[in-house]
Amino acid sequence: MDHAYIEDNQIADRYVMGTLPPEEVERFENHYLSCPECLDRLDLVEPLQRGFKRMAGQDAAKLAATRQLAFVAWLARLGRSRQIGFLLAALLLIAVLPAGLLLRGTAERGRELALARSDLEQERQRSEQSAAETARLRSKLEANQRDLASQRQQLAQAQQPQSVTVLNLDVERGASLSGGEPTHNVRLPARSGWIILSIPIDPPFQRSYVAVLWDTHGHEVKRIADLKNQSGTLSFSLPPSLLPPGDYSLTIEGLSGRFTFRVLPPA
Amino acid sequence: MGVDSTEAGPGPDEAAIAADLVRRIAAGETAAEGQLVERYRRGLRYLLHRLGALPDLADDVQQETFRIVIERLRHEGLADPAGLAPFLRGTARNLLIAERRKTARRRTWGDTGELAQAVAPAPSQLQSVLLDEEAEMVRRLIGELPTDRDRQLLLRFYVGEEDKDSICADLGLESLHFNRVLFRARQRFKELLERFQKQQVPVKEGR
Ligand SMILES: [Zn+2]
Repeated sequence: MDHAYIEDNQIADRYVMGTLPPEEVERFENHYLSCPECLDRLDLVEPLQRGFKRMAGQDAAKLAATRQLAFVAWLARLGRSRQIGFLLAALLLIAVLPAGLLLRGTAERGRELALARSDLEQERQRSEQSAAETARLRSKLEANQRDLASQRQQLAQAQQPQSVTVLNLDVERGASLSGGEPTHNVRLPARSGWIILSIPIDPPFQRSYVAVLWDTHGHEVKRIADLKNQSGTLSFSLPPSLLPPGDYSLTIEGLSGRFTFRVLPPA
Repeated sequence: MGVDSTEAGPGPDEAAIAADLVRRIAAGETAAEGQLVERYRRGLRYLLHRLGALPDLADDVQQETFRIVIERLRHEGLADPAGLAPFLRGTARNLLIAERRKTARRRTWGDTGELAQAVAPAPSQLQSVLLDEEAEMVRRLIGELPTDRDRQLLLRFYVGEEDKDSICADLGLESLHFNRVLFRARQRFKELLERFQKQQVPVKEGR
């Protein structure tokens, strides 16, 4: 591994972002172990990347204040089968969300969508050779349009004014329920809405994570499985009905530390 | 083309230097042991930091890594002397994994507070200020970019974590232009970071 290769392939950046394939990670680690130049590069890229993430997080929080994060949370819940619909929704999103938030965590879905798009393109090409295929494709298109209509409806619902509270749990990491009062407070919405929890995680990243919500007596309130790392953050939403006023803590299986917060009654 | 140096590998010749260190340590030369520590100390420290070890644990693992590796070199040498870096890396990783297993076994539900504090201390107010400042610097460097296309490039790469090829294809960019934008962004961030650090008392905690 030489410096031209490292520079041309953004090895240091991708290493810090955790997107480098394992073989490359190994090669790069063996290289930088004795390379001051690469260590200087890493010392620069790390805060730079952190700054980008922090900025995106701040943008997300600002948007939440304008209630658009509900829309993002809804998108995050979309299943694979709705990828094509998501593509259309994503086009709509571009019109309403700043780039920072839009990009955040959607890279993976973007790749899946690119695959879906290329599948569609291949289907289109094949259909040109076959009339029967065209008919089939038309019916598929109609099904997609129906799906789109139903998604538009959901989209409209998601965009309806509803209270969304975002709780970024990065600041009080490691605080304990017994060791003092949690300084993160979240007030329950007066009417329907969602509480979105956002937790930072450090590399090396796991394929998926399980978050467990505990009440103050150490009873498990809710287990949220199959959470995916999105740019060093885990995010998920909880209905306020699950969180009567009181103190809670959150643990991520396989990771140390816990995140605590207090739920206050509606104002 | 505005990128860093393109010299090959770390220093003049990592393989030759590593082989020399291995040979001299096997021959009982104490000075070579000091040189080995000096050469790999910073890199090992960074590796442990990347693997999530907090400073105290990183100190212990680093020390133990050097102890094990030097001991082995003194008595058995190394089949492939150029494989010194992989050997150090592997030893450090294994020690850290073993240490984590021990911690996980000790962990019970009774000791929530103390242990949580030990493994993941809350970031200080100062650290939060630093993080905000980093975000501000990024905001500033993005704002200074001459074109919206360059802004998109950086956001898609650092926030969206898209790969270079797809960004270049989408934005109609040459690979060289991509490299240049990234390089300049890093340079600008470095200037802003250094300016900020000069204004501060030494705040960054050691790794
Ligand atoms: Zn290097």
